[in-house]
Amino acid sequence: MDETILVKKAKKGDKAALSQLVNVYSGKIYNLALRILRNKEDAEDILQETFLTVVEKLHTFDGRSGFFTWIYRIATNASLMKLRRKKLVFQDIGDDTEYADSIENRVFVDWTQDPSINIYDQEVKKKIDEAVNKLSDIYRSVFVLRDIEGLSIKETSAILNITEENVKIRLRRARQFLRDILSEYFEERVVDK
Amino acid sequence: MKHVHSKERIKKMCDLLGEDFDSPKCQAMAEQVNACPTCKVYFDTVKKTVLLCKEIDCDKDLPSDVNNRLMKLLDL
Repeated sequence: MDETILVKKAKKGDKAALSQLVNVYSGKIYNLALRILRNKEDAEDILQETFLTVVEKLHTFDGRSGFFTWIYRIATNASLMKLRRKKLVFQDIGDDTEYADSIENRVFVDWTQDPSINIYDQEVKKKIDEAVNKLSDIYRSVFVLRDIEGLSIKETSAILNITEENVKIRLRRARQFLRDILSEYFEERVVDK
Repeated sequence: MKHVHSKERIKKMCDLLGEDFDSPKCQAMAEQVNACPTCKVYFDTVKKTVLLCKEIDCDKDLPSDVNNRLMKLLDL
């Protein structure tokens, strides 16, 4: 059934329609929360919190944005709130005005062709997880929505309520930050060989 | 002069790092990136970093117990 019709029915209290919406989005929301929070229990909390909010606020959904954007916004905000409450220490990304200049004076080792650097290697997996965990909330949300979820700049901007230019800036910084952290480790692996 | 060109290439490449890697803008940049060894390694390692992160965070099935608890909570 068309999603707009399902939403209309669910707003009127149709449990079967709500159930269908839950079935469509529960996996997506669980994965989104898992990607931001990187913890299964936290992801389940966000899944429940998101759908409780949907049930409570569905009558306020006016359709100006799509249901997808609306529910993703609820889930992303809830995930980011939980991340902030954890009071983790994130690594500062800082200003990148001089970053381009610094690249020119650095020597990079190309580790991209090393077949041992793959996600089936537990140590590689751990390093990637640690690196993403060092990303602060504002960068992590953009990175997850754009690069992991594969959403467009426009969709990401609508979900996070930031400008498209800001999405691009944050994504660029997040990518560079993750590259630098992981390259430190991967370059060592390649050189040690 | 070569020094300036390299600096400009790096700056342009960095400006594009917030875009889709397969966007026309990035595709157009590829030729210039390939002409600058530092840019190429840097650009390739950024792309590979994103790819590894994406692979590691591939879709996980919603565990059935998690789904059951959600449906019960929502009384569905």
